[in-house]
Amino acid sequence: MSPLNVSPKRREYEVLPSLNVPGIPAVAPLPTGETEDTRRIVERFGQDILAAGLHNGLQTVIVKPERLVELAQFIKDEPKLAYETIIDVSSVDRLELPIPEGEPRFQTVYQFRSYRRKQHLMVISPTQGDDEHPRAPSLTPVFRGATWPEREVYDLMGITFDGHPDLRRILMPAHWPYHPLQKQIPLGGEEVPFSLTWDDPEFETLGTQILPAESVKPTLPPGMNRRHMIINMGPHHPSTHGVLRLVVELDGERVIKVDPDLGYLHSGFEKTGEHKRYKDFVYYTDRMDYLSAMNNNLGYVLTVEAMLGVEIPERAQVIRVIMGELQRIASHLLWLATHALDVSGTGMSLLMYATRERELILDLFELVCGARLTTSYIRIGGVWRDVPDIFLDRVRHFIQTFPGRLAEYEAMLTESPVWRERLEGIGVISREDALNMGLTGPMLRGSGVDWDLRRDMPYSGYENYDFVVPVSQRGDSYGRYLVRMEEMRQSVRILEQAVANLPDGPYKTNDRKVALPPRPELDLSMEALIHHFKLVTEGIHVPPGMYYHGIEASKGELGFFIYSDGSGRPYRLHVRGPSFNNLYALDHMCQGAMLSDVVTNIGSVDIVLGEVDR
Amino acid sequence: MDWLNLIVFPILRTVVLFLVLLTGFAYLTWFERKLLARFHVRYGPNRAGKFGLLQPVADAVKAMFKEEIVPSHVDKPIYLVAPALALIPALIIWAVIPVAKDTPAIADVGIGFLWILAVAGLESYGLILAGWSSNNNYSLLGALRSSAQMISYELPLGLFLVSILILAGSFSLVELVDNPRAWWEWLWLWVAFPFFFICILAETNRSPFDLPETENELVAGYQTEYGGIKFSLFYMAEYINMITTSAIMATLFFGGWRGPFAEEIVWLGPVYLFIKVVVLLFLFVWVRASISRPRYDQLMRFGWKFLLPVGIVYMAITAVLAVLLK
Repeated sequence: MSPLNVSPKRREYEVLPSLNVPGIPAVAPLPTGETEDTRRIVERFGQDILAAGLHNGLQTVIVKPERLVELAQFIKDEPKLAYETIIDVSSVDRLELPIPEGEPRFQTVYQFRSYRRKQHLMVISPTQGDDEHPRAPSLTPVFRGATWPEREVYDLMGITFDGHPDLRRILMPAHWPYHPLQKQIPLGGEEVPFSLTWDDPEFETLGTQILPAESVKPTLPPGMNRRHMIINMGPHHPSTHGVLRLVVELDGERVIKVDPDLGYLHSGFEKTGEHKRYKDFVYYTDRMDYLSAMNNNLGYVLTVEAMLGVEIPERAQVIRVIMGELQRIASHLLWLATHALDVSGTGMSLLMYATRERELILDLFELVCGARLTTSYIRIGGVWRDVPDIFLDRVRHFIQTFPGRLAEYEAMLTESPVWRERLEGIGVISREDALNMGLTGPMLRGSGVDWDLRRDMPYSGYENYDFVVPVSQRGDSYGRYLVRMEEMRQSVRILEQAVANLPDGPYKTNDRKVALPPRPELDLSMEALIHHFKLVTEGIHVPPGMYYHGIEASKGELGFFIYSDGSGRPYRLHVRGPSFNNLYALDHMCQGAMLSDVVTNIGSVDIVLGEVDR
Repeated sequence: MDWLNLIVFPILRTVVLFLVLLTGFAYLTWFERKLLARFHVRYGPNRAGKFGLLQPVADAVKAMFKEEIVPSHVDKPIYLVAPALALIPALIIWAVIPVAKDTPAIADVGIGFLWILAVAGLESYGLILAGWSSNNNYSLLGALRSSAQMISYELPLGLFLVSILILAGSFSLVELVDNPRAWWEWLWLWVAFPFFFICILAETNRSPFDLPETENELVAGYQTEYGGIKFSLFYMAEYINMITTSAIMATLFFGGWRGPFAEEIVWLGPVYLFIKVVVLLFLFVWVRASISRPRYDQLMRFGWKFLLPVGIVYMAITAVLAVLLK
C-alpha cells in the first residue's frame, strides 16, 4: 500500500514554538486518595493494581492487563460493588507524551457504571505486547456490551483484543491499511487552496484521494449462510435512517441474523478533535447527533468545564436546561415521526404532524442563535449569547400548545390496535440483557432499569427540577414507545419550571481564562485585551489529566472522554455515542422476527448515523 | 347495419372509456396528492397550473421522457410484459359496469359477476411476474407477498360477491342495478360494505394493505427494478384499479348510476356514478392518511381468521334471507 499522500504544505501558525508553554505535553497525574470501592478493589487485587483513587473526581483504577478480565468480573459480581454495566471502552496512544521508559505506549480505558449504587468507575489498563502490536484482553465474556466498542478500538487504535468473538473493523473499510487514531498517522485530508490563480502550486494536490478507492468484492459476514436469502438493507434504504447497511439473513420472512455494517458516515471526529482547540470542537459536536445538537454541545462543554473547574452562572445553567429539554422534545418528535412512518407507511399523517411541532422548536433555536440544526449555542463557560426578550414568551406558548398536540398523537397511536400489534412483543430486551449490552437512555428504561443521569448524577442543576423518570417493565418496542412519549411530557414539565425560574445575571462565566471578556471592556482594559488575544489565539489550556462525563441525551448516555496533556488541544478525545452502543442490540432484537420487525426495531432503537459512525 | 353495432360502436365506446379512465387516473393522482396534503397539513402540488392541475401532465411527460433502463440481471421478456399484464385487467374489468340506464360500459355479457371475479384473479399475475422476473430479493419478496395476499383476500371477496349475487338473482350487473330492491336488501347489503371495502383495499394493494410494495421494508417491492414509463404502468394499474373497484362498489352497494331523475334523463346516470366513485375514492385516501399498516403475517391472519369466516356466515344468512323473504 502506498504511503499516505498527505498534501505537502502545512500551515505553520499552529505549531509556533512561542505559543507552547513549557511542560507541555504532560502525562495525566495518577489518581490519589481512596474511596470505598477502590479500597475494596485494592484489597482484592493487591500488587496488580498500579494505582487507584480519585482522579478529577472520578473513581479511577489502573490495573495490570493480566487481571483486567478478573477485575471486571469481580466488580460485576461483588454485591458491594455491583458495577452492572460497561458504558464505554476507549484507548489512549501516549506516543507523544513523556511517559517513563519501558511503559507501554497504549492504554485501554473502560467506564463502568453501577446503576443500583449510582457509582461510576474508570478502569485504565496498559496494553500487553510490543508497541507495534498492542494487545489487550477482551471484556466480552463478562460484558457483551464491550463487543462493538472493542471493535472500534481495534479499528481506530489498532489494539488487538484477545478472546474477542468477532474482531473485525467496524468503522473503516475492511481493507484500510492503518489505524487512524494512532498518533503517527497524520490527520490527512487536503489543504484548501487559498490562491486565486490556477497556476499556483497550491492546486497541485487538489482532488487527489488519500487512498485509491478500490472496489472490493463484498464478503459475507461471519456466521451467515448462503443457504438462506441474504438481503442487503441499505446503505440506501428508506428506513435505515441514513447510511446504515444491514446484512440480513432471511429464512422466508423470518430473520436469522442481522449484521450492521457501519462507517459509511465515518467522519473522524475524534481525530479531528485532537487537532482542534477546545473551544473549536464545539461546532463539531453539532454534526454528530445532528438531531440533538444542543445536547451534544452540552455534553462536550460540561466535560471540558469539569476539567477546568469553572463555575457556570445560574442563568446560563437554566438556559442550558431549557435548550436541552427543547432539543430532547425535538429529537423525540422526529423519532416519533419516522417511527410511525416506518411502521405504518408513507401516507400516515403523523410524520407531518410531528414535524410541525418540531418546527416550532427549531424556530426557537433560530431565535436564540440563528441556526436551526447545528446550533453550537452552548459554549465553554456558558452560552453564546443571552436569550432575546421574546424568547421566554415563545417558549411559554410552546409549552401551552404542545401537550394538547401530544395527546392527539397518543390518540392516533397508543391504543390503536394495529399500532399495538406492530410493537408489542417486538424487539424484546430483558433487564439483564439491557445491562449486559450496555444500553442507555430509553432503551434501558424501556427494559425496566430506573436510571436517568439527569436525576441520578445531576448536572447543570437538574437536581432543582421536579420530574418523573418514566420506566417500562415491558422491554419491547411498545414499552420504549411509551417511555419516549412520557419523556416528552416530563420535558415539558421541566421547561415549565425552568421558564418560571429563569434568574437574572450573566449568561457566561466571568473567568477570563475561559470566556471572552465583554466587548466594551476591550476599549478600557489592557488586561481584557490580553485575555481576549490569548483566548482567541491559543484557546483554553486544560490542566493535564483525563475525564469522562456523560449526560442524558435524547437517545441515551452521551459521554465524552478527554485526555489532556495541558495544551490548548485535547490530546485524546473520545465520544461515546448512545446510538452506537444501542445499535449493537439490533441483532439481539431481531432474532426470529419478521422482516417488517427489523424496520420497527431500527426505529425503536432511535439511531442517528452521524453519531453511530462519528 | 349489423357491423355498425358489432364493431364500430364498441370500438368507439372502448376508445371513449379508455380516454376517460386514463384522464381519470391522471387526475386521481392529483386528487390523492392534494387530499393527502390536506390531511398532512401541507399544500400539495400547487405550482404547475392553477391548483396544480397541470401536475399530472408534467408527471406524465417526465415519465415518458425518462431513459428506458432494463437492468442486465432481469428476465427480459417477462420483465417487459409484466407492466402491461398488470394494467390490462384494470382496464377491461370496466366492460360490464353499467354507466346509465340499460347501458353497460361496453357489453352486457350476462355473466358480469364472473367477469369481475375472473379478471380480478388475473390482476395478480402482473405483480407476481414483475417481482419474479426482476431477479431481485426485494422484488421477489414483494411478489410473494402480493400473490399470497391477493389469493387470501379474493376468497372473502368472492364470498361477498356470491352473497350479492344470491340477492340479485342474476349474473348481469346491468340487471342488478335495473331491478328494484327491497329496503331490507339495501340494509343487509350495507352491513357487508365495510368488509367488502377491506377486501378491496387488499385486492388493490392500497395502504394500509400495500405490503407488496412497502417502501419502508422492501424499498418498492415488486416494482423496485422498474423505472420510467414501465413504472408508470404499474402506477396506472394501481390507480385505475382504484377507480374500477370504486365503480364496482358503487354499482353493487349504492345503486350505480341511480339517482333522482336518472331514469328519465339518461346523461344524469354517468354523473351520479361519477359522484359516487369520487366519494369512494375519497374513502381510499382517507384510510391511507389515518390507518397504519399491519405486518404481513397479521394481514394474513386477519384475512383467514376473520374475514373468511365473516364472509361464510354472511353468505349463509343471505341465502336464508333470500329463501324466506324473496
